[in-house]
Amino acid sequence: MEIGLDIFLQVMVWGLYAGCIYILLATGLNLIFGVMKVVNFAHGQLLMIGAYVTFSFFVLTGFNPYVLLAASIPILIVIGVCIERLCFRPILGTGKLNEIFISIGLIYILENVAAMIWTDEWKTIRSPFEEITVTIGGMKIPVDYLIIIVTTVLILVGLYIFLKKTRLGLAVRATSQNRKAAMLVGINVERMDMLSFGIGAGLAGAAGTLWVVSGQVFNPYMGSVPAVKAFAIVIIGGLGSIPGAIIGGLILGIAENFTVLTIGGAWKDAVAFLILILVLIIKPNGLFGEKAE
Amino acid sequence: MKHTYVFLLIGMVVIGAFLAGCTQQASTAPAQNLKIGVVASLTGPSSTTGKDVWQSAQLAAEEINAKGGIYVKDLGKSVPIVLVQGDDESTREGGQKAVSRMITQDNVDMLVGGFSSAVVSAHQSIVAEHNVPYIITGASTPVITRRTDVNTSYMFHHAPTTDDSGSQTTLFIDKVIRPAINAKFGYPQDRPLKLAILYQDSPYGKGHLEAVKNTIANNSLKINLVSQETFKMGESDFRTALTSIKSSDPDVVYVAAFLNEQIPIETQAMRDVDLKKIFIAIEPNDDPDFYKGVGKYGDYSVIQSRFSPYTVPKGPTEAAYNKFVTDFDKKFGGFPGMMGVATYEGVYIGAKAVENAGTLNKTAVKTAIANLQMPQIVEAMQGQTISFSKDFRESKFDLTMEQLVWDPSVNETRPKIVSPANLKERDFMLPDWYVPGKA
Repeated sequence: MEIGLDIFLQVMVWGLYAGCIYILLATGLNLIFGVMKVVNFAHGQLLMIGAYVTFSFFVLTGFNPYVLLAASIPILIVIGVCIERLCFRPILGTGKLNEIFISIGLIYILENVAAMIWTDEWKTIRSPFEEITVTIGGMKIPVDYLIIIVTTVLILVGLYIFLKKTRLGLAVRATSQNRKAAMLVGINVERMDMLSFGIGAGLAGAAGTLWVVSGQVFNPYMGSVPAVKAFAIVIIGGLGSIPGAIIGGLILGIAENFTVLTIGGAWKDAVAFLILILVLIIKPNGLFGEKAE
Repeated sequence: MKHTYVFLLIGMVVIGAFLAGCTQQASTAPAQNLKIGVVASLTGPSSTTGKDVWQSAQLAAEEINAKGGIYVKDLGKSVPIVLVQGDDESTREGGQKAVSRMITQDNVDMLVGGFSSAVVSAHQSIVAEHNVPYIITGASTPVITRRTDVNTSYMFHHAPTTDDSGSQTTLFIDKVIRPAINAKFGYPQDRPLKLAILYQDSPYGKGHLEAVKNTIANNSLKINLVSQETFKMGESDFRTALTSIKSSDPDVVYVAAFLNEQIPIETQAMRDVDLKKIFIAIEPNDDPDFYKGVGKYGDYSVIQSRFSPYTVPKGPTEAAYNKFVTDFDKKFGGFPGMMGVATYEGVYIGAKAVENAGTLNKTAVKTAIANLQMPQIVEAMQGQTISFSKDFRESKFDLTMEQLVWDPSVNETRPKIVSPANLKERDFMLPDWYVPGKA
């Protein structure tokens, strides 16, 4: 198949959009891992809850779904904090197996709770901007995708400012770099765990809102596939590295879409793991990962 | 102390032996009911359909039991139907677990249900090993009863196969859509239609692809396949596949997908990719959720169907259709869906076969299903009779083609039957916004 410039650019846009969702999910996952060294397998289910929160508020209030980021992010932060306090904190340091089983158990619990509250039927909502397209270089792009890309950038800039320019962000980074040293200088590391888990969940909530706004369908069981991709991105980018998650998310989003275009949709999921294997062969700690202790 | 342990041990052995004896006795006693295992995806991504399947089976069993059950000659009395739930969890492994349990622990007399082709294929060998009659009411690949690596002689397919629906749809495209496009845009009458197909990477999707290709070849149809795109089951982002399809400049896009895929496909095609073509959906999508989900983007699209929530084919099944839908809604709320109605009929088929066999013996029941000739129930069947073909044990349905039309009173589209001619509610129409492929 001959790929013209118009198709190339169009697929790039779809890749960037997919990358945005992956980036938000993977950045949250990485933040949690960086600080707590916990792998939360139920992270995709937090995206699913973010989608349902947006859906519920949209149905109840009729607000612009983008505005509902102001609801989904804080609610997911609260849910994240509760999960950290009730599920992970009691078993932190008791062994990786406990953490794995807790997070796997959370997948089933969150899915079943969502099915109980919202039923397990597929849902969808419509963006108020769905009719609007913008022409860039002769290419028509629905304005929703530009908003999603810009929103993701703004969220990441906000996260960057928080981590780099605030005392709390400094404390989070210190805990991530050396937990014991952070404790010695008086940082309440448990509070940092709670905070990072909350922010990670909030980012998943934002991913859920943007997922819904783009017209994707969702049900309580939709979280697993994006979560698997997010894990691949975390490993590609390097465990605990937020820039790695961003670059990894973009690489995966674009690579997946070009795979669909050139080889076929059946290979879309496989490409994530192909990239993962290639990266691990060349850089065993991921693109931005530091050497394991 | 030592004696206490010995007594405890002896006590446990005695109680164990007693319980084992009870179990043995129960299994040799004549059965007092017809135990039907219902294979349904009650959890996981297909749980909406699974619930329909289970509830429809319940409705059928209750109706039969309310009339006194099934007369079994060997027992000299009527027995009730008892349903056993087998949740396949929407996975192959879950299906194997559920079917295995129902056969070996619940000792079911027959099985009904089975949704996905992939899931059913995975547990067929277990059914074959135990020779349990199985009326499959969901999986659509014809391979289900045609495969040779497993003995499928106890399995009966009461759902249109991908061959049936693919062939019917392709013939409709050639006979109705192609002439309509050529006439409207002044193309030569013999201009071949440019067809793109977007299919799920599964036995269901591949079955449709094969059916389309075979129908074109076997009937020398003037249809050129200009694009074949595939996607993984459960996919939600189709933008790139649709962009690729757009670049192939088709007239019509044939989609073999499930509801959760069909909705984003049509939405993303119209809204994101600006693919102004006629989209064709296949029957499992004819469900209220589809109309709600696809909204205005479904306008003028076509759906192949056999049991629709919003249109009833006029004819002998109309009353039965209305009764079933009303009873279901009264009891469970909502619309039962195609897999639901087929399973409802599946329970009736099983009951009739047992009555005809006069026994619960599985081999005799299998033979009775194979020789069954019973009047159609809710869905229109070919010859107005439910029977299974001698070669591959498939029942044959009368299928319809519907076109979706925007209904401002409900703010959704509604289907109108456009084929076959005897059931037609209106003619197929091309919308003003439609852009055909270049000549």
